[in-house]
Amino acid sequence: MLPAMLPRQPVLDPAAAYPLITGLRDALDSGDWPACRALLDAAGPVERTELTTVGLAEPGLATFLRGVLDGDPGDGAAAVLLGRHLLGADGPVAAERLLVDAAARSPRDPAIWTTRLSTARELRLGRSEADRRYGRLAEIDPHHLPGQREYLRQLCPEPGGDWEPAHTFARTAAESAPPGSFGPVLIAEAHLEHRRAEHGRRASAGRRYLAADEVRAELYEAARRSVWHADFRHGHGWVRVTSTFAMVFALLDDRPAADSLLTALGDLGSAYPWDHLGDPGSVIVKYRRRAAGGGT
Amino acid sequence: MRRLEVDGIPAVLAPVTGPAHAGLVFRVGTADEPLARRGITRLVEHLVTDGLGATGRTSWTTGPEHTWFHVQGSPAETTEFLTGVCAALRNPPLDRLATVRDLVRGAQPERDPLPMWRHGARGFGVVSYPEWALPGLTEEHLREWIARWFTRDNAALWLAGDEVPEGLRLDLPAGARQSPPPAATTLAATPAWFAGGVGWDTVITRGPGAAVFANVLERRVHRELRDLTEHSRTEYVPRSDGTARILTVADPLPGRAEAALGGLVDVLAAVRAGQIDPDEVAAVVKLTCEGLRDSESRGARLPGQAFNLLAGREVQTLEEALAEVRAVTAAEVARVASEAYAAGLLMVPSGSTAEWAGYTAAPAMSEAVPPGRVHRGRRDRALRLISGDEGVGVTGHGVVAAVRWDSCAALLAWPDGGRRLIGEDAVTVRVEPTLYRGADRVVREIDARIPQRLRIEMPPRDRDHIPQPEPAPRDSGPRRYVTAAVCGVLALFFLSGGLWILVQSLAGAETDNPRGEELLALAGSLVFGALFARYCWATVRESDSRRG
Repeated sequence: MLPAMLPRQPVLDPAAAYPLITGLRDALDSGDWPACRALLDAAGPVERTELTTVGLAEPGLATFLRGVLDGDPGDGAAAVLLGRHLLGADGPVAAERLLVDAAARSPRDPAIWTTRLSTARELRLGRSEADRRYGRLAEIDPHHLPGQREYLRQLCPEPGGDWEPAHTFARTAAESAPPGSFGPVLIAEAHLEHRRAEHGRRASAGRRYLAADEVRAELYEAARRSVWHADFRHGHGWVRVTSTFAMVFALLDDRPAADSLLTALGDLGSAYPWDHLGDPGSVIVKYRRRAAGGGT
Repeated sequence: MRRLEVDGIPAVLAPVTGPAHAGLVFRVGTADEPLARRGITRLVEHLVTDGLGATGRTSWTTGPEHTWFHVQGSPAETTEFLTGVCAALRNPPLDRLATVRDLVRGAQPERDPLPMWRHGARGFGVVSYPEWALPGLTEEHLREWIARWFTRDNAALWLAGDEVPEGLRLDLPAGARQSPPPAATTLAATPAWFAGGVGWDTVITRGPGAAVFANVLERRVHRELRDLTEHSRTEYVPRSDGTARILTVADPLPGRAEAALGGLVDVLAAVRAGQIDPDEVAAVVKLTCEGLRDSESRGARLPGQAFNLLAGREVQTLEEALAEVRAVTAAEVARVASEAYAAGLLMVPSGSTAEWAGYTAAPAMSEAVPPGRVHRGRRDRALRLISGDEGVGVTGHGVVAAVRWDSCAALLAWPDGGRRLIGEDAVTVRVEPTLYRGADRVVREIDARIPQRLRIEMPPRDRDHIPQPEPAPRDSGPRRYVTAAVCGVLALFFLSGGLWILVQSLAGAETDNPRGEELLALAGSLVFGALFARYCWATVRESDSRRG
């Protein structure tokens, strides 16, 4: 890659990497529910859940989706899109009330259980209820990364958990994930969350935490089972996974590793987890320059 | 099944394949007991069976609406027991009252909190309360109770056997058939929730669809909560007024209460959304029909038929019952589920809520306290006790509780002056004279206003069970610091004044000042200084101990 291209800001909008997002937004804008359903029904389970989580705060969306649900109360796709929207617009109670009914009508929809993990955390319904909800999700799809991320956040100390169960869950989920899949990124996310929460104020302490032998070894092993694996594919979600490992190696000061991942990303990027370090766009530019050998 | 009459008592008789048995049932239960007599039916039931020395296998039970005496044995044993029960009802062995009372008090039934939240402290709600009245029940109370409820006209008999046992005499006084207890409700809006455990109940129209729904619900709750609870149970309880109560309670595993609640919420949402599996309904219908046939052969349908007679309903043959159950469809169960959900009352673990699931908080307090004279709390001015012409109430620290004089269900009275009024809506007002200024006057008013029949005398309390005033947690802290500071300054002022006089008098012994005046001023300064210092020290120490 030419050095002249490096200072360019990465594109953080997931729609840049996944054209389906634009397709879904367009179909919602034009009020074409059959097109939305066709798009969501054709997507894989993880892709479908990811599509329901991208920012959808357009005005009039709630009215449109309520209209769809009035016509067919059992439309789980409309319910989960509306639930996500309400979670942002009206808060977790409004979202959860809708999702209780949605889960009752579509008990095997992983997107609904993923969203109910978010509402359970925001409503502080307790660890055992989060366990139950994750259990329902895992019965349907044991490697449902968007739901695993929600559950991992629940296990962290902030909503009342602890680091040990969070890391244990990340390890277990990563070990059982198929080789070359996205699952092992949970190990990286757990350590990055740990670094941010406990050592976020001092860069040197954060670096020491990640560079500790056990943590470092775990992070490399996770990368080998995921982004560095021959079976790693650029399916829906690959940008965030690659971007997360890139930040891990940038913080570990393994410049070649960070550089190769950032190069693979090209102009693409994800706000998470770079937002731990400041404005994600400029932080990525800074680390990209450093990784490519442009000085410290 | 034959309909007949024995000594003026309506009866049902049916042959059975197993051992013969019989039961005598009265239309009286806990739902008929005023709170101030709670436990009296059970006491009667134990008193009349005490010392019968029956040789058959006997049992006696008090339910919400029915009290029955059951015997399994030979015709002679049946006659001996039931005739004995009737004779004891005519002439209760009141000399055994004290002994039987101790026995009954030692085995208080498990309490179910849901009825109180739904019905208040009356009717079906009374069962949620302890049997406070037991120690004070007198022979007179028992005689009155028996005369009203345990009569020939308020009884029914079932006989599982080939014929009426020889010599069976049911000699009971005449009386009146009692109507079903009224099912008042205190819930302003349903579905509602309250905190107290994990459970749910509803009251709906009784019928085969409701019974099948209860069985479907039981299976779903069991499946959903299997890994989260020690056990769960679901009951279908038909009532004489044409309704039925469905109750589900779960006993969560340690640390799993919130998940048990979540699972229960999801099951209820699923049945409400019409997620009823026709195969499951078919399976339940089949099992119910098998159960009915089995019950018929053992005579286990007979008690229900006797209850029907007491409610003025006709007896139902096995064929009629089977036909009704077989006609139940998944659509009918879904309709019942929707009615059941709408009238539901959800019990959530302490510290949880259920607003998030679309349930309304059941009223736990009064809306307002009727006007009256205000007594402020001792050491806590936020507390108020208000007594007026309409009723009495307390407010403070977010609590508003009032009982109107004309809707008091019971008054608990302790010898130390403590009073607890329980309103028919289950709201409780605690009047502790130790906590309010001049509250003795309110105690006298309560004693004058509340009729004797609602009063329950409570045993003396230990000193540490009598509440003592505590300063309000807010705003007393800064006040204490001000007190301490002022006392400290005054103490310094007087003590330094005293010191100055002392120095003056020692240094200038040759001056004209008379020694006596100096000594007086010195002594006064020291005394005042010491007093203020002491008060300042006490205040500081009190704040320290409170913070700890």
